[in-house]
Amino acid sequence: MNSRHLPLLLSALLGATAFAGAPGKVPLAVEYPKPLFAGTPRPISLSNLEPAGAKRPDIMVSAESKLLSRGKKVTSSDSLPVIGELSFITDGDKTGIDGAYVELGPNTQWVQVDLGASAKIDAVAMWHFHSQARVYHDVVVQISDDPEFKKGVKTIFNNDDDNSSKLGKGSDKSYVETNHGRVLPADGASGRYVRLYSNGNTSDELNHYCEIEVFGVAK
Amino acid sequence: MPGGRRVGTDKSPAVAHRWGVPPALLRCLPLALLAAVALWLRTHDLARRPMHADEANQGVKTGELVEAGRYAFDPRDHHGPTLYYLGAAVATVRGQASLAALDETTLRLVPAVAGALAVPLLVILARRRESGGPGLSGPAALAAGTFLALAPPAVYYSRYFIQETLLATATLAVAVALRCWWHSGLTRWAVVAGAGVGFMQATKASTPLFLGMAAIAWLLTRAAARPASARPGRDLLAGLGAAALTAALLYSSFGAHWAGLRDALSVYLHALLRFGAEAPPTGHEKSWHYYLQLLGWSRSGGLLWHQAALSALALAGLAVAARRRDPLLRGCAVYGVFILAALSAFPYKTPWHAVHFVPPAALLAGAALDALARRRSGPALAAAIAVLAVFSLGQQTRLTSFLRPADGRNPWAYVHSSSDVLKIRPLAEAARAARPGEPIRVISEEYWPLPWYLRGLPDVGYWTEAPADCGGALVIASVAQADTVRARLGRPARESFVGLRPGFLCVVFSPEP
Repeated sequence: MNSRHLPLLLSALLGATAFAGAPGKVPLAVEYPKPLFAGTPRPISLSNLEPAGAKRPDIMVSAESKLLSRGKKVTSSDSLPVIGELSFITDGDKTGIDGAYVELGPNTQWVQVDLGASAKIDAVAMWHFHSQARVYHDVVVQISDDPEFKKGVKTIFNNDDDNSSKLGKGSDKSYVETNHGRVLPADGASGRYVRLYSNGNTSDELNHYCEIEVFGVAK
Repeated sequence: MPGGRRVGTDKSPAVAHRWGVPPALLRCLPLALLAAVALWLRTHDLARRPMHADEANQGVKTGELVEAGRYAFDPRDHHGPTLYYLGAAVATVRGQASLAALDETTLRLVPAVAGALAVPLLVILARRRESGGPGLSGPAALAAGTFLALAPPAVYYSRYFIQETLLATATLAVAVALRCWWHSGLTRWAVVAGAGVGFMQATKASTPLFLGMAAIAWLLTRAAARPASARPGRDLLAGLGAAALTAALLYSSFGAHWAGLRDALSVYLHALLRFGAEAPPTGHEKSWHYYLQLLGWSRSGGLLWHQAALSALALAGLAVAARRRDPLLRGCAVYGVFILAALSAFPYKTPWHAVHFVPPAALLAGAALDALARRRSGPALAAAIAVLAVFSLGQQTRLTSFLRPADGRNPWAYVHSSSDVLKIRPLAEAARAARPGEPIRVISEEYWPLPWYLRGLPDVGYWTEAPADCGGALVIASVAQADTVRARLGRPARESFVGLRPGFLCVVFSPEP
């Protein structure tokens, strides 16, 4: 066996053992919208790009975990978006059609969901824009009890591999947006606020969100 | 806005006398101000929008002309030589002597200045002569010029290094020269018109379509009248001679490439092969009402795109042209409708052709205001409508040319490059500095506008299929080629993603340090 595959195998084994043995853990159920691609996407198979349309492994969460973000207040670095409203991000409409997403300005922008109270967060699901094959740059997802995100910040995803957004260099993989969006495990991180950054995308310099869902257990 | 009154004739002489300004200069002031606004709209922040693939391709061709001083007309994939020669002239003025030194502003200044020039040309064409006759009042002609100055496609494609604005402006210049010849009978105006026709032909081979439509419009609206020239046949010959000489000079690269004359004719054979009934689809086929939608409105991605104000006024102007026995208005109406019909009937459609609808539409819109201003209490209403139309066009131009010039939803930003392409140059320069001896490779079935952004860098190569050795200081591959390229890199590399344009992604491989 190739020695470089050994750590991967061990990690998978440990992960499977942990999930199988975790009491009260269930697969997270996420409702996905219908796909919107009008044409046939090119087959994409890259080392740090998620395969388009491939089913991702289940994220195991506690049985009490539920959707905490529906209808919760959203703030942003772009407080007056030209297209859509920040409330679209937690309104449950993730269809991605015109009128169902918010468009933020160019360069690095963030949106922040206020859960209303600190919670034990199991997972964060996000849909930027899924009517076209595109990759969002410098996606960073953080959780904190501090609304300014100056202290007690836990980063659960970061694909800013050149630290262009000045939030620290990340090693997570970029991915093509589809109707499956991206569901991130948060491993029970504690926080009242979830903040998501992005820095334009491969089609234009703007930032978009159809929906963000935060799953967890209220404290 | 009473018909026939000259701008400022009542008070201008007194004001001019008081300030020591010649009255003629003062009369020109509104037009000069309008031209200045048009020029500012067309030249402000020209380099901001990423280069479209067509602009990049023509930019590289201009760079070769600047660098080597050579140009040879290519009848297969390129339009006529005027754009390149004018681009080279601007480069010389700006002191840019190589492809590497060339920049976006230099290239786009060519259509920008041409687009600004179209505004006074339209006002001169539209305005009734002091001795009377056809045309619009001074204020109405200025309103027509204002609509052209602000129309979204006119501004957008004046900031775009392609031939369309040059052709539209040359068409207007020919019309103005012909009108001057018609009324003055001076042969020199026939020569100027002829030179303009030659310039048009040396800009795009579609010129006969525009000349044909103009001839039909003239025949239908002015056939019974006679020009002031005592010898129109001689003037016609002089004009044709000037046209042939101008086109021949440009197509032959000023005598350096005589085969260009043959190629200038063979371009129609190539067009037949490309667009004929047996030809495969080009990918630009669209429904017959595509241009009508551009002239009207569309909603895309939560944004409303339109030039409904200009189109509505132009429709009203069509009605005015039908009622008024004004050959200029009627000729303009027939020309505009026939051009729209001809381009709509042709399956191959691109949005920049809409540039040719704007001057007749603007003139007809001015006619509608002119007719309204002649009615009792009409001037105030005409002025109010003009202000609303100007506001509407200005808002749309701000949206399309300045706020979202490369947005995929912008109907004028056709298959446009993504803003991501602006990252390529810094990445390539950093890679070149880190690994000076290694090549930069672009491996993709489509790669424009990257040659523009990588211009002047040594050891840059382009492949449509992955070569045996894909190693290099920086390797840019389409997603379709990325797996093969990765396998042939020969060492680990950091990967990042850039969009060439919406829906077309590339992977950038940078060797790990």
